[in-house]
Amino acid sequence: MTTDADLIRASRSDADAFRLVYDRYAARVYGFHLGRTRDADAAHDLTAETFAQAWLARHTFRDQAGGSAGPWLFGIARHVLSASVRCGRLEQTACTRLGIRERLEREPATAEPDETWLDGLDEALAELPEGQLDAIRLRYVHDLPYEELAGALDTTPQAARVRVHRGLSALRLRLNPSKENT
Amino acid sequence: MTEPTTSLDRLGDALESAARADLSSKARADRPRRHRFSTRVAIAVAVLVVLIPGVALAASRLIGTDAVEQSLPAGTLALAGTSPTCTVVVQDVEYLCALERAPAPEVSDWKGTVEPTVDATKHVNGGCRSLTSDGREWRCYLGQAAVDQQIIGPDFLGEYAPSPGVG
Repeated sequence: MTTDADLIRASRSDADAFRLVYDRYAARVYGFHLGRTRDADAAHDLTAETFAQAWLARHTFRDQAGGSAGPWLFGIARHVLSASVRCGRLEQTACTRLGIRERLEREPATAEPDETWLDGLDEALAELPEGQLDAIRLRYVHDLPYEELAGALDTTPQAARVRVHRGLSALRLRLNPSKENT
Repeated sequence: MTEPTTSLDRLGDALESAARADLSSKARADRPRRHRFSTRVAIAVAVLVVLIPGVALAASRLIGTDAVEQSLPAGTLALAGTSPTCTVVVQDVEYLCALERAPAPEVSDWKGTVEPTVDATKHVNGGCRSLTSDGREWRCYLGQAAVDQQIIGPDFLGEYAPSPGVG
């Protein structure tokens, strides 16, 4: 199967490729926003903005998760959510720029973002077991390849990869309990 | 808990359609443009610029240090909240920036680290290189100078960057 990374690279000049990425992640990103907002319309609009920003920023994607676009997309989703709370209105800069609103036959969500939407985001990370937290931090914050990460954790590259995967899965479940990890 | 599939499908269709339109508009914009000015007009403009330097200066707005100071955290999440203060080395080209607070401890040694900068319209406008290990002093370049300094690639300059970079 073509990796997300391949599709995003192809999407620089191919809208179909980006659609495939959307189809793979739309439900999960929607689930993430619904889990935070508890508002279906707001979650829909935040999902739209997340993918619109991903489209506009696709050239910045760097494959740091073995071909998966998940961490990148959820990073954008988190940013969209935080920006909405900070501004007190649903972020829609990228949707406006791309004219997505005009293409959708539905009224914009009327929800007013509040701080409770961000509850638990940092706590979820803090709740991870120490080994998984270290693995994720070394992989995504310090950008260590799995070989070096294994050295730092005194384990094998395969075990390090498993630890990162388990950490991400645990994080995903904590943030979005309604969705099974993938 | 999940959005009806049809609704997400419709969003996917709208996104795909918008993406196609975006690609088409970029392709149109990339086409070479025919020169619209005659040689005579071009010469006249050149003479004016040489004779009246003020015209040239007025035509391009100078970039303030505050704009550069805001471009740093806009380009890199780790620099958020660091309150940079920049001074001009070469107007509109090179700036020295000192951070009031150290950046987030994402990097153990910041010296030599390069980061893009993003302007108020959320487009990459240059880049900076850390001069110190604690990441509190940066030399920043705007526009092509950042490319020449190999801080950012030529394709990255001017690209849309809606959120600060991470990692």
